[in-house]
Amino acid sequence: MLSRLYAWLDSRLKLEPVKETLLDEPIPGGASWIYVFGSATLFVFFLQAITGMFLAVYYAPTPDHAYDSIRYIETQVLFGPFVRGLHHWGASAMVVAIGLHMLQVFLYGAYKPPRELMWMVGVLLLLLTMGFAFTGYLLPWDQNAYWATQVGINMVGSVPFVGTFLVRVMRGGDTLGALTLSRFFAVHILFLPAAIMALIALHMFILRRVGPAGPWSGGCERRGTQGDASLRQGRRAASAEERPPIERRVHRSEPFYPRQVFMDAVVMLGVFVVVAALALLVPFPLTDKANPSDHNFIPVPEWYFLFYYQFLKYMDGPILGPIATWVIPMLFIALLLALPFLDRHPERTPASRRAVIGIGVVFLAGVFVLIGLSLRDLRAMKRTDPAVAAGRALFERLQCASCHRIHGEGGAIGPDLSYVGDQRDRDWLIKHFRDPQSTSPGSIMPKFPLSEQELNDLTAYMLSLRKGV
Amino acid sequence: MKTGPEHTNTPSGSRRSFFTWLIVAAAGLIGISLAVPLSGYVASPALKRRERRWVDAGPVSDLPVGEPAQRDLIMTVTDGYMEVAAVKGIWALRQATNEVTVYSPICTHLGCGYRWDGGARKFKCPCHGSEFDLNGKVVGGPAPRPLDRLPVRIENGHLLVQYKEFKSGTKQQIEI
Repeated sequence: MLSRLYAWLDSRLKLEPVKETLLDEPIPGGASWIYVFGSATLFVFFLQAITGMFLAVYYAPTPDHAYDSIRYIETQVLFGPFVRGLHHWGASAMVVAIGLHMLQVFLYGAYKPPRELMWMVGVLLLLLTMGFAFTGYLLPWDQNAYWATQVGINMVGSVPFVGTFLVRVMRGGDTLGALTLSRFFAVHILFLPAAIMALIALHMFILRRVGPAGPWSGGCERRGTQGDASLRQGRRAASAEERPPIERRVHRSEPFYPRQVFMDAVVMLGVFVVVAALALLVPFPLTDKANPSDHNFIPVPEWYFLFYYQFLKYMDGPILGPIATWVIPMLFIALLLALPFLDRHPERTPASRRAVIGIGVVFLAGVFVLIGLSLRDLRAMKRTDPAVAAGRALFERLQCASCHRIHGEGGAIGPDLSYVGDQRDRDWLIKHFRDPQSTSPGSIMPKFPLSEQELNDLTAYMLSLRKGV
Repeated sequence: MKTGPEHTNTPSGSRRSFFTWLIVAAAGLIGISLAVPLSGYVASPALKRRERRWVDAGPVSDLPVGEPAQRDLIMTVTDGYMEVAAVKGIWALRQATNEVTVYSPICTHLGCGYRWDGGARKFKCPCHGSEFDLNGKVVGGPAPRPLDRLPVRIENGHLLVQYKEFKSGTKQQIEI
């Protein structure tokens, strides 16, 4: 049936040459598990695009409704937490996939001629991905989103001359608010996707024009060159002098289909299983709704920005600060873009590129050390128990403050709860919330229909209200 | 398909079909694992039953006997992630037996709001001239069916009404 349909379409649309172009791309050196990272990145991009489109079905990009619409997805929509989880963990998967893809290209010297443009477009794709991460982070409009974005935008302010103006453009005025949210939303779902799709197409176009680089024992050959006897000679050669000239080293090749496609498909399935498992098993709860007046909130960036977050801690002051917030990032991007022109030696084996590989290793080691230090600091930091945070949110949602006062805020109809954690124990509080009359006869407090989870959260919040905490 | 010495690794025959089968299986697994939750996700609001709440329309004793009176139903309507306050002016008719009939305030013809004409003792719709008697029966104009009645309950002397809307212009009463 399917083959008849294909034959019918082929007789009209001449599909056979298209199929050959798509599937018979020669892979120098044959299919390999080391070549799967580009496909994995592309797969995660599609996963992000699809889950993002579906999130937009319910999301409302205004400060009044953004948080509530995400809460609605989390609590009311069938599979809502799963779809949001896929998008959240997919973002992390995208960073991992790009990191591994760049590492492989770097290690194999695949940015060398004639593939310089492919590398440069790849660097731009990395920057667009960072743009997605930054703009997407604000959208849930919770405390973490609001304050992390505030910090991110303020860093742009350190750019000399134009910094203040750029900050105003990013915010859409003086404050982070309605205009910021709608422009971040537009950039996240319209501008960046348009740009990234164009650049992905360009990246793929260049790949098909120059062909994959193949094993590092090969030269920087263009596709279509012939001969492999000299290559085997090259592999056996003990020293660089004995190797045949690079232009004569060409590998045996194998078409893209079926073995490389199979390897790509297995890895895509693996990535999907991991992301889906994280989405199902590791909840990603909202923090409280963004509160611009709460200056005590300490935002923590996503793990893939932690190394930079830690680095900024060491670069304090009027000179070091701006160096870390814009000079170094700009230099780093420029260095990445210029890499194919700085590392000019045509040899691709890591053994003959010790300096470049050494710099790469030092950079990676630095990133991991900074991530480690940052995680250690975060663990040492006093963090709010998630149950306490959920209890506080419940306290606000049930409008308990219309009767109860905490540290001067709220009504005076019921008892002041500023230090209720010192006065009541857990059992009393739970009993009281289940039925206020049972512990306080004559109390006018209504009986709220709370779930077990909500009872525990509200009690955890009450118990956290103590002197000296 | 290119063959020859440079393609020695390329699987052929049943081995090639086996790879194809595995690739299709992996893609199918991902596709189904996404399609099922995403379909449920989009259809989710349509699968939910609308919550009907009983709304207090005031004490029954305040209603005149045998004369329709308009009462405001002040409701909180859940609209997705928003809670919106809505006011609907229903028509209530208290019988001598103390039973109360409540009519939806929307004309069954094309959805205009009708009025009670005390002199003519008829409900009259200003849009297209439909007329209904005290029992809601059509006595004039183009209305295709009697006035729609709403579910009523009396508790502790208070009139409780469940607000509903119906499709206009149809002979049958179809709830929306």
